[in-house]
Amino acid sequence: MDMYSQAAWLIPLFPLAAFLVLTALGRSFRRAGILTGTAGSLAAFVLSMIIAVDRLGGRAVDYNYAFDWIRIGDYTLRIGFEVTNLTAMMLVVVTLVSLLVNIYSAGYMKDDERITVFYGYVALFTFSMLGLVLSDNLLSLYIFWELVGVCSFLLVGFWYAKPKARAAAKKAFIVTRIGDAGLLLGILLLFWYMPDHALDFTTIQSVFDGQSGAITTGITTLIALLIFLGAVGKSGQFPLHVWLPDAMEGPTPISALIHAATMVAAGVFLIARTYDIFLDSAAAMETVAYVGGFTAIFAATIALAQNDIKRILAYSTVSQLGYMMMALGLGSLTGGIFHLFTHAFFKALLFLGAGSIIHAVHTQNIQEMGGLGSKMKVTAWTFAIGALALTGIPPLSGFWSKDLILTVAFETNPLLFVAGLAAAFCTALYMSRLFFLVFTGKPGAAADGAHESPATMTAPLVVLAALAVLAGFIETPWNGWFGSWLSGEAEAAHGSGVAIVASIAVGLIGIYVGWLIYGKRSVSRTAARERLPWLVKLLEKSYYVDELYAAVVVRPLKTIGSLLMVVDEYIIGGIVRLTGIVTASAGRTAARLQNGQVQTYSLTAVIGFVVIIVAIVGRRFWP
Amino acid sequence: MFNIDFTGEFAAFFILSTIMICGAVLMISLEKVVHMVVSMAAVFLGLAGMFVLLEAEFVAFVQVLIYAGAVSILMIFGIMMTKHQEAEREKAKPLHEALAAIAALCLFGVLFYAIRRTTFPEAGALQGVEDNTMAIGELLYTGYVIPFELLSVLLTVAFIGAIVLAKKEAD
Amino acid sequence: MLPSYLTMAAILFCIGLYGALVKKNAIVVLLSLELMLNAVNLNLVAFSKYGVVPSLTGQIFSLFTITVAAAEAAIGIAVLIALFRMRGTVNVDEFDKMRR
Repeated sequence: MDMYSQAAWLIPLFPLAAFLVLTALGRSFRRAGILTGTAGSLAAFVLSMIIAVDRLGGRAVDYNYAFDWIRIGDYTLRIGFEVTNLTAMMLVVVTLVSLLVNIYSAGYMKDDERITVFYGYVALFTFSMLGLVLSDNLLSLYIFWELVGVCSFLLVGFWYAKPKARAAAKKAFIVTRIGDAGLLLGILLLFWYMPDHALDFTTIQSVFDGQSGAITTGITTLIALLIFLGAVGKSGQFPLHVWLPDAMEGPTPISALIHAATMVAAGVFLIARTYDIFLDSAAAMETVAYVGGFTAIFAATIALAQNDIKRILAYSTVSQLGYMMMALGLGSLTGGIFHLFTHAFFKALLFLGAGSIIHAVHTQNIQEMGGLGSKMKVTAWTFAIGALALTGIPPLSGFWSKDLILTVAFETNPLLFVAGLAAAFCTALYMSRLFFLVFTGKPGAAADGAHESPATMTAPLVVLAALAVLAGFIETPWNGWFGSWLSGEAEAAHGSGVAIVASIAVGLIGIYVGWLIYGKRSVSRTAARERLPWLVKLLEKSYYVDELYAAVVVRPLKTIGSLLMVVDEYIIGGIVRLTGIVTASAGRTAARLQNGQVQTYSLTAVIGFVVIIVAIVGRRFWP
Repeated sequence: MFNIDFTGEFAAFFILSTIMICGAVLMISLEKVVHMVVSMAAVFLGLAGMFVLLEAEFVAFVQVLIYAGAVSILMIFGIMMTKHQEAEREKAKPLHEALAAIAALCLFGVLFYAIRRTTFPEAGALQGVEDNTMAIGELLYTGYVIPFELLSVLLTVAFIGAIVLAKKEAD
Repeated sequence: MLPSYLTMAAILFCIGLYGALVKKNAIVVLLSLELMLNAVNLNLVAFSKYGVVPSLTGQIFSLFTITVAAAEAAIGIAVLIALFRMRGTVNVDEFDKMRR
């Protein structure tokens, strides 16, 4: 039964091999590069699929293999890989999206000079992400965690000739670094307090079973919050969400792969992996839930006022990740992971669709688009499916996962239920605004000459659209298969009529309002701007969070930095220059001795000889 | 040095050493190169006298022949074949000269000190060699015949080399 | 008498050394070298008479030295003439080719 799971360690090796080959190939082998990258992720996907299908039947045992890595005194660090149902699902998601993005990029990045480098980075990212998923302990997870961060940095800054891309890459790296520092501290604390300093998930699971009491509640809460800080950084939760919208400066397939489907979900995955720690601390759970709920509504409102198609989707991603966090915080592991699963497909679909649009019209401003629906039929239809799935319209996948989260919220925390509903309304509104502005109405300024993208780009859209439609049926209110598969507990039918009705109603109302404003145009578009200009301004500026950080964090740090720069320039550098001057002048003095005059040389020799003679004679004749 | 008897040898040594030191100092301090060579010839001759004092008549003879004769003449030829109108108009290098003087004086101090400190054994002077030249000749052609032949080769090589070096390029 | 001769030789040697180190004219430098060699000869002959084992060996050696000195003087003058032909001077300060 576990035969295939044993081979799971091979999965990350395919993209790694692809990365190595791509690096060795160099830039001139464009077609070979594309094929290598795609083949690597295809192999990884096939193997992942085999493992996942293998584990579908019945309740497969978690497979864990570890070996001694480092032995320091009495302490042995073991690393290895672990295949559970959760990781098997993540493997499929990561490899599938990676494969589709590989295929898509063959069209999207066709004219880019560094396409081979791009494929290399993507392969490296896929390797790191798979390694992260397969890690059986927190330490190796942290290593891969940083690796995906590096890949994200490289890919956001891929078009480094653009100053904005450079700035965005740096911002993404530094902001997630804050979270990573928290995660590292959490891991170190855990290492300190765990019996035998074990860091593998199996031991963590058995230690944090809620009754052993090996670690006090205070420490547990602290550890959980620090780990959550790492997740906040990676998954773009408030207040560290600022990097994710800026990261849209990267190529669009990257936004789909890293900043929508996989890496940003790593935070959710991390919490799911260490869920037992969180379950032991009510305070940490509440924090996760409230941060998630707040982020969901916060980001959704910002998305209402943005004009850049990718920024809208980015804020939407932040908002949806907030949903997942909220579900985890409310105690529904199934809800969070299920939404991660469905979201990966429809958000990747939306991003790739956006990429297809950008490819056609060469702008990202939705005000300049319009009337693209007739010119780009495949893109329009698949985009519509993605948008409806995101909005939560039955029977598309987003409905089932969002409904599960809202149901949990409805049963446990009414405040968060209201926040979730409000966020769902905003989601419906901004998605309909986006859709109607882009695909309907009069052709915009940039819409001339727009045409459908090539098949390499539309085929992944179709595949993802199918998944966005179907992926939700693994977990429905009357069939809790996914939850029981994931957690190993008995199937539990759930569902609340109120939640279902409310979520559908909110979604439909949102779409209707959006249609009224942007589709039918019976309500003036500028109404809000005229009535509440400050509110629109606030939303357009993303609540001035960036400006706030710039004033509170960035500027003081830069001031300190420039002060230290002065120290470096004039004190450290002065010492360095002084050393140079002294050495150079010593050299010049020595060079003057080397004047080519035989008499000077012989004088030197004679002086040395006299010194030696004096020394010897002094010893010999001195009394 | 200061407690020796005032013998005939000492008187002769005193006169000869005065000549030699004067010649050497003049050689250093004179302006014109030819004058230097002449004062140097005085030193050579004085030395030959000292060799006579030391009962080394053949060496004294050779000294006069080679040094006072051949080398001095060679030097004068050298002076003639090069240009010396500017006659020792040299840039002053006080540091260099002072250092050289200090080094020479130090060396002399050490040597003098060593000579004064050493007690030389009172050995009997070289006795009863009637014919110094004959004795040296016998020794040269018996015990030192190989170095002697080697030296003859060296001399030949040196003179051929000197000719080749001094020859005009055009020839 | 031996210390007197040795002191005399030391004086000559040191004067020769000073001249060899300081003088600019290459011919005078050569002369100074001859002076140093003569000082050595004086030592050899003095030891040949007043040494621990008096013998003629010292005189033989001084003959060898004189021979080598004569050869050296000849070669030195030849080199000087060749240099003079090339550089037009016998000032040793001008002979600084070793610098480059």
